[in-house]
Amino acid sequence: MSTPEPTDAPTGPRSDLADSVGWIVLGIAVLIGSITMDRLEAQHINPYTVPGLLPGLLGVTMVVLGGVLAMRSWRRIAQHGPAAPADADQREDQREQWRRIAIVAALCSTYCVVLIGHGLPFWLASAIYVAGSIVILQRIGRDDPAQALAPRSVIKALVIGLTSAVITHLVFQDLFLVRLP
Amino acid sequence: MFEGLADLGHAYAGFLNPATLAYGLGGAFVGIVMGILPGLSATLAIALLTTLTIKLEANDAILVLICSYVGALYGGSRTAILLNIPGTAANAASCADGYALAKQGQAGRAIGIATSGAFVSTLFGVLCLATFTPVLAEVALSFGAFEFFWLALFGVTMSGSIVGNDPLKGWLMGMLGLFIAQVGQEGLYAYDRFTFGWDELSGGIALIPALVGAFGLAEVLTTLSDPIERRIVELRDSVLPRFREIVQYWRTVLRSGVIGVFTGLLPGVGEDAGSWMSYAAAKAVSKEKAQFGKGSIDGLMAAETGDMASIPGHIIPCLALGIPGSAPSAVLMAAMIIHGIQPGPMLMIQHPHFVYQVVAMTTLASIAILLFGLFGVRPLLHILRVRRAVLMPIVFVLCVVGAFATASRLFDVYAMLAIGIVAFLLRRRGYEMAPLVLGLVLGPLLDKSLRRGLVLSDGSLVPFFTRPICIAFASVTLFTILLYVPAFRALVQRARGAVADGIRSLFARGS
Repeated sequence: MSTPEPTDAPTGPRSDLADSVGWIVLGIAVLIGSITMDRLEAQHINPYTVPGLLPGLLGVTMVVLGGVLAMRSWRRIAQHGPAAPADADQREDQREQWRRIAIVAALCSTYCVVLIGHGLPFWLASAIYVAGSIVILQRIGRDDPAQALAPRSVIKALVIGLTSAVITHLVFQDLFLVRLP
Repeated sequence: MFEGLADLGHAYAGFLNPATLAYGLGGAFVGIVMGILPGLSATLAIALLTTLTIKLEANDAILVLICSYVGALYGGSRTAILLNIPGTAANAASCADGYALAKQGQAGRAIGIATSGAFVSTLFGVLCLATFTPVLAEVALSFGAFEFFWLALFGVTMSGSIVGNDPLKGWLMGMLGLFIAQVGQEGLYAYDRFTFGWDELSGGIALIPALVGAFGLAEVLTTLSDPIERRIVELRDSVLPRFREIVQYWRTVLRSGVIGVFTGLLPGVGEDAGSWMSYAAAKAVSKEKAQFGKGSIDGLMAAETGDMASIPGHIIPCLALGIPGSAPSAVLMAAMIIHGIQPGPMLMIQHPHFVYQVVAMTTLASIAILLFGLFGVRPLLHILRVRRAVLMPIVFVLCVVGAFATASRLFDVYAMLAIGIVAFLLRRRGYEMAPLVLGLVLGPLLDKSLRRGLVLSDGSLVPFFTRPICIAFASVTLFTILLYVPAFRALVQRARGAVADGIRSLFARGS
């Protein structure tokens, strides 16, 4: 089965090929999980209602669709050849993007896993996270990284962090009676 | 019929009190702000507000959510016009003409057109909502397990095919959503599936935390990963709504309204489809085709009316069938369930007044966006001047609150974090989130319908393919999938060409 090249495909066939392996592995894992799932025979249930029925079908479908994705990627690679290597600027941009993504993901994970849910009041945890994120994100920004660590910028970040955290706390917990972490 | 009109009258009268109006305006305000912020979607706005309004009365809470839904899509047009970035996915079609007008110094005019188009088309959609929902609910009463099985599968397949530009990836995301929905205790025998003995997973992956991760954290990461921060075009001219242009382009407004509502009826298709299809239809019949993409009023009007009319369109199947038309309406549906209102065919029997209350709520939402369009454009644009390094951490704090608040479980926060990071990586590789959402919402329905259907038919698959409504849904679903097979697609194109030639020659002979 082959398909025409999508007009503005967001990713190349090589990454699609790697994805297809992931989908097939996931599909097989789901299928194995479904087949080995308890069929509740001891409860004498109707055999057409075993809990693993739909997950098993989904596993098979993932394997099939993953296989089609693999074949399509393979054909596109064969037709168009390997993609042209990125130039130095593109590689630098990519590296910069991934650096930013890693930093943001680390900040968010620290907030969720370390700061909240371990006794620290929510408003304080949030204030620390917001202020810290503002300082770090301005530091890695392109505009004026040196300025980010200036005392004025740090104080501004602390004020924003504290204000936003306290307002969130008041609006959610006190005004709308929503429980906070 | 008169009973329906009386219910509608009561519903409108019920909203005429200061507290309710304040809730409506508040919801629209938050929606517009979220819509203005690039990347933050209507889905996220509704998900976050669901947690904020969890202790309110059901009607007030749903009103806030509907107003935020309408507000977010309306607010998104401003970002498209001033920044050339769609505020929500539905505003992508407005970017080209809106931004071109802004560059010509007519940003205010473009915003005015968006306001008037949004107001009129939402009202048109409301009219369709009031008319078609009870009719569709009546039809849906005859649906059984077999029909619901196909309806759920149809929703995921259509969503995968239409959203994005790669149906294969759309379907894979739909399958992933359906699979995630199977995790936890299943509905028939309370058996734990794929929980690996982990008690926290028995409750399954809750919809709101999953959506907050997929649409909130993923957007935070997307926005902050871009090294360059964009600046908005300055607003110089008047931003007042332009109703003269509504009269001038009434054909476009009406056509886009119909297209918007129709695309809204299709499960899982999303508001962006309504917008793009209206834009394409307007371009096809316009006398100023060359202007499209370069600042066409017709184009901007079509895009803005198409997406706004699809909102009530999406709510129709959500209420009548329990099948959401888009990701935001999926969250809206989840919120209704949280507040004790089960959408679906039984809605007109269990809560007969609720449909009319939703009609009144959507009308109020359209009035609210008109008010903000008249008085709140310039102040609200200040939000676009806030730096993303300041804004995004605050947005993430709200995401954490949103994930936690529905069930007060830290596990939901961790699930949101994990789903957000995975969703971000998948989006970078060209996978759309809407089919995943549809899969998540429709997974339990698909599972129950399949197993109940098989019990009823004693294991036979025949009723799945022979009942009249099943035949229709199965045909469309299989046809959509088969269109991906090149040989079948070529056959369809040949058949279509032959039919078109036949009709042409018939008319030629007649004249």
